[in-house]
Amino acid sequence: MKKNKGFIICFTLPCVLTLLIMYLYPVIRTVVMSFFGIESVTADFSDWTFNGVDNYLRLFGSATYIRAMQNMLLIWVIGGIATLSIGLLFAVILTSGIRFKKFFRAAIYLPNVISAVALATMWIQYVYNQDYGMLTRILGFFGITGINWLGTDLKFWAMLIAFVFGAVGYYMLIFISGIERIPSDLYEAATIDGANKVQQFASITLPLLKSIFKTNITFWSVNCITFFLWSRMFSSVSTEASTVVPVVYLYDVVFGTKGNVQRDAGAGAAIGVTLAIFVALVYFITNRLIKDDDLEF
Amino acid sequence: MKKKLMSILLVTAMTAGLVAGCGNGSGGSGGDSGSGGEYDGVELTYWSMWNNNEPQGKVLQEAADAFEEQTGAVVNIEFRGRDISTVISASLEAEEQIDLFEEDYNRIALNYADYVADLTDMAEAAGYADNSYQIFNDKATEWAGFLCCITEQPQVGGIFYNQDLFDDAGITEAPATWDDFLAACQKLVDAGYQPMALDSAYAMFFFGYHLDRWIGEEAVAELTTNGGWSDNEGAVSAAQDMVDFVNAGYLADGAPDEYPASQNSMGIDGDVAMVVCANYVTSEVNANSGTELNWNMFNYPAVDGGADPTGAYAGSNSIAITSYSENQQAAFDFAMFLVTGEYDQKMADTANQIPADPNNTAPESQNGTIEVLQSLDSSPLTWNMGLNSNADLQSSIQDVVIKMYEGQYSSGEEVTAALDALY
Repeated sequence: MKKNKGFIICFTLPCVLTLLIMYLYPVIRTVVMSFFGIESVTADFSDWTFNGVDNYLRLFGSATYIRAMQNMLLIWVIGGIATLSIGLLFAVILTSGIRFKKFFRAAIYLPNVISAVALATMWIQYVYNQDYGMLTRILGFFGITGINWLGTDLKFWAMLIAFVFGAVGYYMLIFISGIERIPSDLYEAATIDGANKVQQFASITLPLLKSIFKTNITFWSVNCITFFLWSRMFSSVSTEASTVVPVVYLYDVVFGTKGNVQRDAGAGAAIGVTLAIFVALVYFITNRLIKDDDLEF
Repeated sequence: MKKKLMSILLVTAMTAGLVAGCGNGSGGSGGDSGSGGEYDGVELTYWSMWNNNEPQGKVLQEAADAFEEQTGAVVNIEFRGRDISTVISASLEAEEQIDLFEEDYNRIALNYADYVADLTDMAEAAGYADNSYQIFNDKATEWAGFLCCITEQPQVGGIFYNQDLFDDAGITEAPATWDDFLAACQKLVDAGYQPMALDSAYAMFFFGYHLDRWIGEEAVAELTTNGGWSDNEGAVSAAQDMVDFVNAGYLADGAPDEYPASQNSMGIDGDVAMVVCANYVTSEVNANSGTELNWNMFNYPAVDGGADPTGAYAGSNSIAITSYSENQQAAFDFAMFLVTGEYDQKMADTANQIPADPNNTAPESQNGTIEVLQSLDSSPLTWNMGLNSNADLQSSIQDVVIKMYEGQYSSGEEVTAALDALY
């Protein structure tokens, strides 16, 4: 019995140690850092000065942080509704027995294979460009001119549309896997009972996709919180308020910006902690609101 | 017997190959290397902010090879790209094996000064003052308390223009005052040209320059930090000038556009005359549009009764040597090898930039830049002339400034009120 315990410890120790060193230590360090004034991320502990909750108070009073959170929430809510709805629609269509299913599935997923940098460049240079962009040309054909898609008023929405375009395929695949898991005899029975396709979707497909929704909402939340590259691409030289999101603000605070050498790793850690709390809240609320253990199939 | 003979032949061939191989190695590394070179056996690690496929990266590698041939010191270049600014701090704190690195000189002086060597004595012994722009050395020394870096790529900001369009519009002299400048803009419009390209990324740079001319950089920084824009007459006048400039139709079609669309229009459309930016804009436009414009440059015009009629933005990407490097002299010599003489000229010509050594010649795309750089007798202006002083509000201020260039405000008072609303 003792031998077995030794074996168990031997096998689990590397994993436990890795988890503690690679995950738990950075998490604890970040939380502790968020209460200190620290210039450089890797500064020695002796250079830290205790700030109490000042870093958090500073954040909540910062116009840029508030704007960044607003932008992130808009991406999460509006982008989330758009992405998950379109993803679900495509998934339902592709599992309804249409022809060329594999081709359409691959085509819709394709943006996920392409580098986000290339994708964002394509949208900025070839879709939104005021001189030769696709949207400008199409609207120009109908006599609508003078819309600056990348002006301060529309830039956020331009970025969001481009992001949703790139994200739909990923969530569609998860929905497809969920729909294909539903036994076909449920649909056959419903058809015999006289239910049409819409009724089948509302009464069978949607309820049985609850767990998939939970998964997708969690993935989407994490995706929104780590929304960095698209924001950087849509304001490439310096951060703009219309596209700023918390991780970009975090990056600027921790590493400084062009022409501004102020660095504050403590405030950066505080931003990280608030984002982690946001994810935890979303996960908790989603679990409370969407119960999937009442259905078995 | 046959096997033995074959073995002897093979061993002989291998030995001959080995000897020949060694012979080639020493011959390939040049006459000095391995035979009494000044830094035989020295290895330097160089973290570069360039990529190896960029013109600067290629010249850097050539210089490293030539330096090795001349002195025997091997320079191992690690091309880190622009992301060097996010990793260099941690690497320096961990005393990672780095002898030299490239970065923006204000970050070297203000963020990494504790980890870089004082180059004052080595610079004096090498006569560095005669091969560099003193303004950068003075500024770096003022910030760090000692000479902490060697200028590699000087930059200067102002108004860059297409000389051909100016000639065609009959503008014979570079505008020195805001009124002259507006008159030049009108001449360009009359000649069928669009005066000014502007990408939103450089909106703060344009407005920052104009604010500096009215109230000076220090006052701009003070307003940026604490607000009170509407109470400052100079700030209101600066904003009013910009509103009038936009209303007069002097911005190019679509400006402020998304970087680099508007500045590219100078080369692609060929009818846009000017852009307010730093000197690298010329090589960017040439490269992006596949053209060779007839570039020239003048300092940002002065305003009547303004606080700063002549200041100009100047900055530098520079080379620093780590304080813990065991080969500081060799590292310094390599830095000097790169930023003076032949390789500095090569860097300037290949990358279309201002040479770090004033004794070298600027390429045509940098016409006018040296004159502005040499005219600066005091501290150069910083990037965005104080508008970056408030890290928390920087992006919100930029939003207001871009909106101003989009024509969303009808007066200077509206602009300053919008800025004050941020505090």
